[in-house]
Amino acid sequence: MLQSTTIPLAVLLFPGGVFAVALGLMLKGMDRRLAARLQGRIGPPLAQPFYDLVKLARKRTMVPDIAAEPVFLGAPLIGAASMLLAAALVPIAGVYTPDPILGDLLVLLYLLAVPAVVLMVAGSASGSPFGAIGFSREMALMLAYEGPLVLVVATVALRVGSFSIADIIAYQQVHGAFLFDPMMWPALAAFLAFYPANLGIIPFDIPEAETEVLEGPLLEYSGPALGLFKVMSALKAVVVLGLGIALFWPSAPDSGALGILAHLAKLIVMMLLGVTVLRVSMGRMRIDQAFHFFLKWPLALSVLSLVIVACA
Amino acid sequence: MNFLKIFVRNLVNGPSTVSFPFGPAWTPARMRGRIEFKLPSCTGCRACEQVCAPGAIRFDKTPEGLRFMMWHNTCVFCGLCEFYCPTDAIHQSDDWHMAHAVDQKFSMAIRELIPYTNCSACGMKTLASAPNPVGINPPYTPEEIEQHRQLCPACRKKALAERGNPS
Amino acid sequence: MTLLQTLNEKAKQIAVRSPWIYRINAGSCNGCDVECATTALIPRYDVERLGCQYCGSPRHADIVLITGPLTARIKDDVLRVFAEVPDPKVTVAVGVCPISGGIFRESYAVHAPVDQYLPVDVNVPGCPPRPQAIIEGIAQAIAIWRERI
Repeated sequence: MLQSTTIPLAVLLFPGGVFAVALGLMLKGMDRRLAARLQGRIGPPLAQPFYDLVKLARKRTMVPDIAAEPVFLGAPLIGAASMLLAAALVPIAGVYTPDPILGDLLVLLYLLAVPAVVLMVAGSASGSPFGAIGFSREMALMLAYEGPLVLVVATVALRVGSFSIADIIAYQQVHGAFLFDPMMWPALAAFLAFYPANLGIIPFDIPEAETEVLEGPLLEYSGPALGLFKVMSALKAVVVLGLGIALFWPSAPDSGALGILAHLAKLIVMMLLGVTVLRVSMGRMRIDQAFHFFLKWPLALSVLSLVIVACA
Repeated sequence: MNFLKIFVRNLVNGPSTVSFPFGPAWTPARMRGRIEFKLPSCTGCRACEQVCAPGAIRFDKTPEGLRFMMWHNTCVFCGLCEFYCPTDAIHQSDDWHMAHAVDQKFSMAIRELIPYTNCSACGMKTLASAPNPVGINPPYTPEEIEQHRQLCPACRKKALAERGNPS
Repeated sequence: MTLLQTLNEKAKQIAVRSPWIYRINAGSCNGCDVECATTALIPRYDVERLGCQYCGSPRHADIVLITGPLTARIKDDVLRVFAEVPDPKVTVAVGVCPISGGIFRESYAVHAPVDQYLPVDVNVPGCPPRPQAIIEGIAQAIAIWRERI
């Protein structure tokens, strides 16, 4: 268990910071590699996202004439910083349990909303019409997927009786992981629909649709600022998948090295099955289709699970 | 669920990517690539200049002779020049390695000169171009071509008549 | 100081492995664009293994592929888009049209050699060039980019 004096270390170095960025970039690299293999290509090297990042750091950042410069350049910083904080809130079995002083599930929930907000702000501050389209799509999509997420988290919290991440993990150690509990399956299904949307991958990458709105909010970004967005999305993958593991499939907090290996394996499985296979096998939805989908299935499932858990 | 079948097939069979930038590339046999010009067999008829759509082939009369110029950076590789060349002086090879740095732009050209010479029979100034051997029976031997190269058109006609037709 | 220099060299070597590609169609007939798309998309000529990525925004680009003879109508837009690409960048002219005008040479409607307006670095002649030739041009562009990044 960490002391409060080590919190800066937790945010900057081990579970958050450097470790989480490296982990996120590695997950992205595996995702790109497997996607290429599924499509019958060789694909980039595993470290390709890292190369991209170094390259972007060496390029020049251009600010459009009509952009609101402080907001335009501040948005990626805020996004990356929020995800850095969020990464320190995600437990890693065996080695790290977040200090309650950092926050609980609710704080994580709020931090998870920041990247979407930051993308909206960035899109509108860039002054580009594509950014504006990305802004409106991001907002619609966020309204659609935040509801199920909140309900899923509420379901788990109701079942456990606490919003503390440590309590949720301890409860699952005693009663078995929620992954194997039929009562929690609707919530699990809702979460499985939520995380591709939050990570912005293909059936739900409508705000950043490269072929339609030219990466929407990211259109005007270049160089280090774009690199910060890449860091943000890499961290987001670690945080969202880590949240899913903590909510549904945690290992024992005292399992040592085996625990961290199990954590990494779960991350990779979730990334490759839930993200890569999904994104290479589907086409992009329209924003209204995605909106209806989220208001129909994940929301219904999460309400259902909340009702089941409340009645049980 | 057809895509799952494709995924499994791709994973099992491995990538179908060719190794090109790191290995040799396959080239089709009839690839129309870089132009090759054989000066010894050019008759100077200028048919290729006539049919070249983008104007990549140009003949210029200079004091030294007839200059042939061809620029690959304008050529559309349509193959008309090879098709119409009566003596196969123009040939399209299957070489497509033509990407070059921009300062090499004008070295992507062929510049050849068919020089003026004096007719070995009458001494008149004439182009040392190859005779057109199409439809001549029996065909010219290389020695005869070299011989006719030194003749002016009038003397060439005379020599051809003297050579006679065996049939 | 020497440590900084070695780090800089190392970063340079790493950065070279991630050239992102952007296409500008300067009034092309789409032949070269189809070949560029082939180079990008079909598994046979996977350029992603070189670290290349086709990007939709000029702001993300490192290597710019220009196709087409720069028609009078589109000239100003092409110059504007090209100015949006952040430095350092490398330009590749794909097809004979941007290099000399090709079949449209000396037309009143095209401002043919693109290199009188833009700093072109590599030429890939062909009408259209085959995908392997485009990959070869990109490889040469990466070699030039190594000097610039």
